[in-house]
Amino acid sequence: MVSFILRRILVSILVLVAASFIMYVLVANSDNPLRDLQTGNSPNKQALIEARIQQQHLDVNPVLRWGIWLGGVARCVVPIGGSCSLGVNFQNQPITALLPAAMGSTLQLVTLSFLLAIVLGIALGIITALRVYSGFDYTITLFSFFLFSLPSFLMAVLLKTFVALGYNNFLQDPKIPLSTLLIAGVVIGAIIQLVVGGTIRRRLLAFVISGGATVVVLAALSATDWFARPALGPFAVILFSLGIAFAVVALLAGLNNRRAWITAGINVVLAVIAYFTLQGLFNISTLGTILTLAVATLAVGLISGFLVGGYDRGLMMRIGALTAVLSAAVVLLDRFVASWGNYVDAVGGRPLATVGSQTPGLGGDFWISGIDTYTHLLLPTISLLLISFAGYTRYARSGMLEVLDQDYVRTARAKGLPERTVIVRHAFRNMLIPIATLVATDVGALLGGAVITESVFAISGMGNLFITGLTATDVNPVMGYFLVIAITAIAFNFLADLAYAALDPRVRAR
Amino acid sequence: MKITGKRLRPLVGAIALVGAATVVLSGCTTSGATDNETSKTGGNVTIAQVNEVSSFNYNTPQGNLDTNGMVNYLTQPQFFTLDDQYKIVHNSDLGSYKKLSDNPLKVEYTLNDDDKWSDGTAMTADDLLLGWAQASGYYDSATLNDAGEVTKGTQYFSTAAGAPFSTNLPTVSNDNHTITYTYDEPYVDWELVNPIQFPAHIVAKKAGVSTEDLTKAILDTPKGDTAKPASPNKTILAAAKLINTGYDATSLPSDKDLLVSGGPLQVSAWTPKQSMTFVPNKEYKGDHTVKFSKLVMRFIGDANAQVTALQNGEVDAIQPQPSADTVKALKAANSTVIDGSQVAYDHLDLNFGSSVFKDENVRKAFLLTIPREDILKSIVTPINSSAKVLDSQVFLPGQEGYEESVSKNGSSDYDKVDIAQAKKLLNGATPTVKILYNTLNPNRVDSFQAIQASAAKAGIKVTDGGSPKWSELLAGGDYDASIFGWVNPGAGNAALPQLFETNNSGNYNKYNDKTVSDLAVKTQTTLDADQLLTEKEQIDAGTFADAYGLPLFQTPGLFATNSNLKGVKFFGGQTGIVWNIWDWTK
Repeated sequence: MVSFILRRILVSILVLVAASFIMYVLVANSDNPLRDLQTGNSPNKQALIEARIQQQHLDVNPVLRWGIWLGGVARCVVPIGGSCSLGVNFQNQPITALLPAAMGSTLQLVTLSFLLAIVLGIALGIITALRVYSGFDYTITLFSFFLFSLPSFLMAVLLKTFVALGYNNFLQDPKIPLSTLLIAGVVIGAIIQLVVGGTIRRRLLAFVISGGATVVVLAALSATDWFARPALGPFAVILFSLGIAFAVVALLAGLNNRRAWITAGINVVLAVIAYFTLQGLFNISTLGTILTLAVATLAVGLISGFLVGGYDRGLMMRIGALTAVLSAAVVLLDRFVASWGNYVDAVGGRPLATVGSQTPGLGGDFWISGIDTYTHLLLPTISLLLISFAGYTRYARSGMLEVLDQDYVRTARAKGLPERTVIVRHAFRNMLIPIATLVATDVGALLGGAVITESVFAISGMGNLFITGLTATDVNPVMGYFLVIAITAIAFNFLADLAYAALDPRVRAR
Repeated sequence: MKITGKRLRPLVGAIALVGAATVVLSGCTTSGATDNETSKTGGNVTIAQVNEVSSFNYNTPQGNLDTNGMVNYLTQPQFFTLDDQYKIVHNSDLGSYKKLSDNPLKVEYTLNDDDKWSDGTAMTADDLLLGWAQASGYYDSATLNDAGEVTKGTQYFSTAAGAPFSTNLPTVSNDNHTITYTYDEPYVDWELVNPIQFPAHIVAKKAGVSTEDLTKAILDTPKGDTAKPASPNKTILAAAKLINTGYDATSLPSDKDLLVSGGPLQVSAWTPKQSMTFVPNKEYKGDHTVKFSKLVMRFIGDANAQVTALQNGEVDAIQPQPSADTVKALKAANSTVIDGSQVAYDHLDLNFGSSVFKDENVRKAFLLTIPREDILKSIVTPINSSAKVLDSQVFLPGQEGYEESVSKNGSSDYDKVDIAQAKKLLNGATPTVKILYNTLNPNRVDSFQAIQASAAKAGIKVTDGGSPKWSELLAGGDYDASIFGWVNPGAGNAALPQLFETNNSGNYNKYNDKTVSDLAVKTQTTLDADQLLTEKEQIDAGTFADAYGLPLFQTPGLFATNSNLKGVKFFGGQTGIVWNIWDWTK
């Protein structure tokens, strides 16, 4: 195993060096780095050109220039004989200062959408696989192909126009007209009946109940001016926490598992107690406070599961942790919602943003800046999510279908295991193996940034670094970008190989 | 009652954990109650810019970008500003300057008594001397090779503008508030010399010397001699190093000294990639103080993103890359569109070195077929509905002398396409003209196609010499005509010899007219405004008489604001939307 890892690392370094050479020479020869100066009519043109040649060593052949660049990189790895340097761009900004900022922006932009895409994609994929060839399956397939083929700039523009501008305009006078209420009810009802499936009667019932509930809730919210001054309140917190407990127990343990109910119940009760007692602490919270509380929550969940435990201690700990974290999230959400009104006032009544990742000079406490990040990242996250989750849906669906056809699943059903156990315990895990590989390779692409989404939402990260460097034939930023992407891609592929060996006993690393 | 160890362990663990959590929590909270005193948007002006700031010094080869120029314009002392007619307006907030004599040209700059930098230090002639040392290149003794490497001597300050003039060592008054330049020879753009940029006390501090030492070094170091370079002066070298690269940045410098301002505003915050915040400079007094409490400059590259941000109230004013689609989107969003013409313009130049255009009649015939009006209508009118065809090679509309010059420079001959006249001049010949242009610029492609179609009617065959590498081909001369853009500086005359002087390296089309060439050179030393105007008019008329080529149109420019912000006016020069920021109210 050790020799395998060492061999892989050595090969990876060689691959990286070779690839960087190809990349450097290609980019350096892709265009004329002096174009903007040559076409200008500055009286001092010749001196400007000479200054850039001097700054970027443009008089040196690209092959040798790569050597200079590599020398700087090498000093980052082995800190002897000079300082670490990835070069400077045409504006004399060091790449080592530009890269962290760009990576920060990109990570902020893509991380959440990436995680959500995986979770939602897999969940929807499984549901469609369980209801294969049903109306729901066809609808999701249609929908995901539609999203898959939608260009990201169009998606972004649509979101900005209809969600950001639309919602902000709506907030100026937050009353939902009757016609909109009815349409919303019909749409929600139609979707729910598709998910529920079954006989016509059952579908009709689902349609009427869910559609009706939607209309009533929206009408009530509209009538009480909830959109202008939203709040969750204790009732909603308790209700949501109970819902979470129900869902977690039903999914992980089955509804007739008494210990599971006790574990989930303890955590819901603790969450509700925390909700009433911790508000004072929340008011003076910082990110550190919340992180500490999060760790504590997780610990409480695990401990409660461990204590209730019994014969199925691991499962109970999972249930405890999941319920604790999710219901704590509801408590946090409630606190965020409570600050919403202040935030809306601070940004002049138009909360949803269309550009950037924060309101300049907003200030405010943890909750206000949290909401600010949310309102800025909401649209880009949705835009990236809708496009990338389509792929995961398809992979999860076909993976699940394949697993469900396997003999061991038939055996599991034959020996009388409940369908929930068959799906969650036997099929689900095996389906995850190919998805794990997919995720690992996607991480590299992820750090590459989303050039178009970045530009449309004015959050300039890695994609922007790359594209501005390339258009100006400014090699150093492009190479900085390349280094990050290449190292991530190589590292994660390596990790995926190791993970395979760990996940699947049939694979052996030698 | 006995509790077994096995049962006790988790309990102890839990208690320990709770204790630890309490300790951590108490360390991780904010002291006060919720601080919701967030900045209200009233009084804050937010504008959008395409590019991010990369340096606090605009005047270096690498920092010479429009956005940096805006920051300098707002935060550095200016002895003059340009108005929207590109006319030089002396700025009395800071001081005054006047010409003392014509020959030798002597200019005296005087600071007001109460001028202060934003850190409270008084502005003195030390600052003026430093500004002069930077701009004049007085001490440089360097010999450079083709690659820009110094082979001999010393290069101190590297400036984007080079050293366009040369003077003696200036004299400083006894009260240390006045400095007098004596130019070696008359310099036409003396009014455009701003003798102050950075605070000398800060530069000296960073160079590790006192302000007096820096001033002494500037006054004592002899003029650089490329033939016999002296050993470099350490103090000036250290100051030059700071000014050359020390102001380049990717985020707010931790060293606040670098942000000391002498202009109406002062940089207070910079969120990299997102925005830069300016607050009024409390020490700044005069007509150019701003009437709002904060300026936020957000960096939004995409034009449509700027439009939606304006529509959503996230910014108050935008300056996007102009395009017809952007104008349409702005109109649909009910924004106030402020359009106009920039100082950049497209033009068609005929190559005097090509055999086709040896004959003046062929040149004239070809120019008569150029559909300038149609080109304008298809490219510029959708963005700037009031745009007109550019009729001068020397002046821009709005500049003093444009109307006058256009009325007599002969451009009226080419007002309309005249195929019949062109055919007559060609006298049966069917020349072939190869036009060089940038195939990546859709406007140039459109211009080319329009010219090609129109010239064909007169029997002139226009062939496509377009290339994405046009800039490298420009100097080669392997074409008969070229379409590309120049930037007229708005104010200043340095470009004249570059374009019209025989054998000048910027004279790509090998234009060769002794009279015009001599005039172009002469303008550089003309101090009398009326005489200068006459010379420029003569150059303008000369080029049309020679069928030099035709100016096509000015690049359209575009600002837009929402209804909250008042006072934004169009300006085509490089300071862009912020040129009259002191007039803005919100």
